[in-house]
Order: sequence, then C-alpha cells, then structure tokens
Amino acid sequence: MSVFAVSTRPRHGFIREASKVGAFLRRDFLVAWSYRLAFASDLLTLAAMTFTFYFVGRGFDQSTLPLIGGSRPTYMEYVAIGIGVSAFLTFGLGRVALAVRGEQLMGTLESMLMTPTALPTIQLGSVTFDLFYIPIRTALFLLVTAVAFGLDFRVSGILPAAAVLMVFVPFVWGLGILLAALTLTFKRGANAIGFSALALGILSGAYFPLALMPHWLATIAEENPIARAMSAIRSALLSDAGWSAIGPDLALLAPLSVLSLAVGLFAFRLALRRERRLGTLGIY
Amino acid sequence: MSVLSLDASQGSQRLRELVGLVPSGDRSFYLRISGLENLVFFGRLHGLRRREAIARAEEMLERVGLADVADQRVAFYSHGMQKRLSVARAFLTDPPVLLVDEATHDLDPAGAREVRGLVSEAALRGAAVVWATQRIDEISGFGQRVTVLAGGRVTFSGTVTELVARADSTRYLLRLRNGGLEGEALVPVLERAIGSLGSVQTAADEFVLALGDRTALGEALVRLAEEGVQILSCHPERSALEEAFVAVAGGR
Repeated sequence: MSVFAVSTRPRHGFIREASKVGAFLRRDFLVAWSYRLAFASDLLTLAAMTFTFYFVGRGFDQSTLPLIGGSRPTYMEYVAIGIGVSAFLTFGLGRVALAVRGEQLMGTLESMLMTPTALPTIQLGSVTFDLFYIPIRTALFLLVTAVAFGLDFRVSGILPAAAVLMVFVPFVWGLGILLAALTLTFKRGANAIGFSALALGILSGAYFPLALMPHWLATIAEENPIARAMSAIRSALLSDAGWSAIGPDLALLAPLSVLSLAVGLFAFRLALRRERRLGTLGIY
Repeated sequence: MSVLSLDASQGSQRLRELVGLVPSGDRSFYLRISGLENLVFFGRLHGLRRREAIARAEEMLERVGLADVADQRVAFYSHGMQKRLSVARAFLTDPPVLLVDEATHDLDPAGAREVRGLVSEAALRGAAVVWATQRIDEISGFGQRVTVLAGGRVTFSGTVTELVARADSTRYLLRLRNGGLEGEALVPVLERAIGSLGSVQTAADEFVLALGDRTALGEALVRLAEEGVQILSCHPERSALEEAFVAVAGGR
C-alpha cells in the first residue's frame, strides 16, 4: 500500500483558498436545508413585520418624511427599504459571531482550525451562504411589498442600490467580525450583538426619519455610516437621480468598509491567539 | 518545538497540512449533514478538489467500516461510529503525523480496540502517531515510545518496557485457602506467617498483601506456604503500567 498517497493540490495559495469557499457554501446550504421550517418562519416573520408597518404607516404623519429627489415617498416605500437594509445589518452583525458560537457548540471549531485553511477563508466561508441568501431575500421582500402595496421603486435605481449594498456589506461584516472576537473572548456575545444591531438600527433612520429625533441625536445619527447607506439606497430606489445620487455616500462608505474590516480581522486574530494560548478555544 | 522541521508554535498552514487530528470530544462534526458530506467538507478544506474529496471520503468510510451509513446524518451515529468517522477524517490526506487526543476515553472496550486497530494500520503505513491517553494500560503492545507528562512537565520518556521497569509494586491481591478458614478468620494466620515483612487486609473475597520496602514477594509467599496456606492466585493490585505511571508521575 502506498504511503502518503494523497497529496493536496499544488495550486496557487489564493486560488486554492478561494476554491474552499464553495465547500462552506455547500455545507451551510445543506445545514440550512435541513431546517426547512426555519426557512419558512423567517419569511413569515418578514411578512408579519411588513404588515405591522403597514398599519403603523396608516397613522403616520407622511409630511414628516424627507423629500427624496424632490418628492415625498409614502411611509411604506420609506420603511420597506429600511426593513430590507436592517435585515442586512442584523445578519451581518451577528453572522460571524453566530458561526463561531455554532462551531464552538458543535465542537467543530477546533477541527476546522486544524485544517490548512487561512483564517480569512474561514471567516469569509462562514458568511458566504448569507451573502447569497440575504440579497435574494431582500430583493424578494422588496418585490413582494412593491407588488402587494403598490410601491413605486425605480428599476433604474436597482444597480446603484446594489452597488451601495456591495460597499456597505463589508462595513457591517467588519463590525460583525469584531463582535465575533468579543464572543470568542467573553463567550456570550448575543447581548452585545443585539444591542449593537438595535442601536445602529434606531440611529439609521430605518423605521422613521432621523428628523423626528432630538436635534443633537439626529446630528450624530446623520453621520452614522449605516444611515448614509440607508439614505443612498432610498435615493437610488425612490428618485430618478440614479448613480449621481449615491456618489458621495459611496466615497464615504468605501474607506470606512476597509477600516472596519481591517479592525475586525485584527481583533479576531488577537482573540483567536489568546484562546489558543489559554487552551479555551472550544469552551463556550 | 518543531514537527517535521516546522516550528509548531507558529501553527502554520504547511504544518496543518501534515498533521491529522482525532480530537478528544465526541462532537466534532456537523450533525445535520451526512458522514460523507462531513468528510467531503473537511477534505476540501485540506485542499482536495470536490471529486477527489468525494472519492477519498468514500474510500475512508469503507476503511473504517462506515460505508453503509455514509449518507446518514451524523446525528444518528453512535459514539463509536463518530469516533471512527473522526479517524477517517484524520486519514483523508494520509498525513505523515497523526495526533490522536484521548480517542478512546469514552468508548467501550470493543470500540476502543477498533479505533486502536485503525490507528495502528496508519502507523504500519509509516505515519508517526502521537497518542494522548489517560488509559495507561492501552499503550501495552501498541505504543513504542512513551512520554509521561505531569503538571505540564515531562517526567518520563522512553520505551514501554522501560516504563514498566519503573513499576514499584508493593501491593498484591491474593486468593488463598487454608482448610475451612476464610475471610477475617484467616487474617491472624496470615499475619503470623508474614510477620514483619508487611501486612494483610481482607478485600471482598481476596486479600491485599502490602509488603514493606525491599521485601521480595517470593519471600512472603514462601512464608505463607510454610504456614499451610494454599495460594490460588496472586497479582499486583494495579497493573505494572499503572504502577509505573504512578511512580514516574509522582501520584499515589
């Protein structure tokens, strides 16, 4: 019998690592598919939220909504985008931490870290399924609400809105990795994630205009990158301005995304090194 | 510390390519997906192409006797089956070093023997196996070199035979008969026979003979025989390996 018959393929490091992401995608799809009820209940929750906001919207003073591209949207148009983008935020913030926690609970973290896989590959792989699932879910949600409630989203704004999301996702992901580092260190990160998602959500103008907040808080919230992303996506989808409406916001979000990712990855590496040194990687 | 000339403290990707791990925990797989899918996933993380990973996973499942349940979710696998799956995962790339961390501590004797057999096969194929265990007796006839760690320090390093030589047995379990006398009634007879060589206590249907330092077992047995006591069996209270371990690890 041959000794050491199997040799791992001699491919360039980057290509080799990139090809592993597909394995994560398949794993997470199979795991998610095994929980079909969770799939369905996620969509039902989204539907229930939409109906709630529909009734909130009927009592909402529409004149408090900001002008977008010179015209005022309906509350449903305003909040539907808020709900969709907030879903990105919640998933993005919690996903890496949940993945780490899940691997700890299942006992698979140690086995996975013993494979010759780079840490960024593991982090990217852990969220790849969501990177596919959430945009599809958001698009589906916006399509259904647009049809059901007669919302006037501009088709020409879809690509610019998608571009904002592409730049916005790494920013949230960086924060998510930072929270995952805290989860790794302090073991229970759910509260921190929940609070962060709530605070960033409230200060993003997802559900109501920032102008309704006290002046000082509104001033802070306007600088919240998530509020900027939200505003840019609304401008793209609810006005005819298209690409020209999102330029300044993209210019602000892009470097912040790089910074957020860098800080998150650095913190995660530190947390992992600490856990390995203490031998508490698998403890949750 | 270096492994295959690579600095182990760096935990480099290259090093992880060369080491297969069988972890101690009983849960190190994705329970909601099949054994085959689990192995394919880990195979791909080891750099195998999907087709190679499937072929290799099927081969390994066959080798560890899990081919029949390859498509079953791991959640339905027994303890022993999960451990064998763990061994299959460690073999995926035939690594030159296998790190087996207390792989048998929660298995029944038959399951433990199976796992030892699988790992022995890997050793016969040329892999260096580092087998961490608290079940000291299982290294007999299995391990070649032993390193005993106590309090984070190496207290012994050598062959199994050299370790056994450190055994310092002074307590033996005896089954004895002396006419109609048995149990507590026999103790005064035994104490008289042993005298200053040691002491005797009853333990269930046996006796514990505790010898003083430098007392030869044979001398004590001769004394008992001279007193008319029939010795039906005699063996150390603890195995030689356990005695040796206690001796070198400084335990009691």
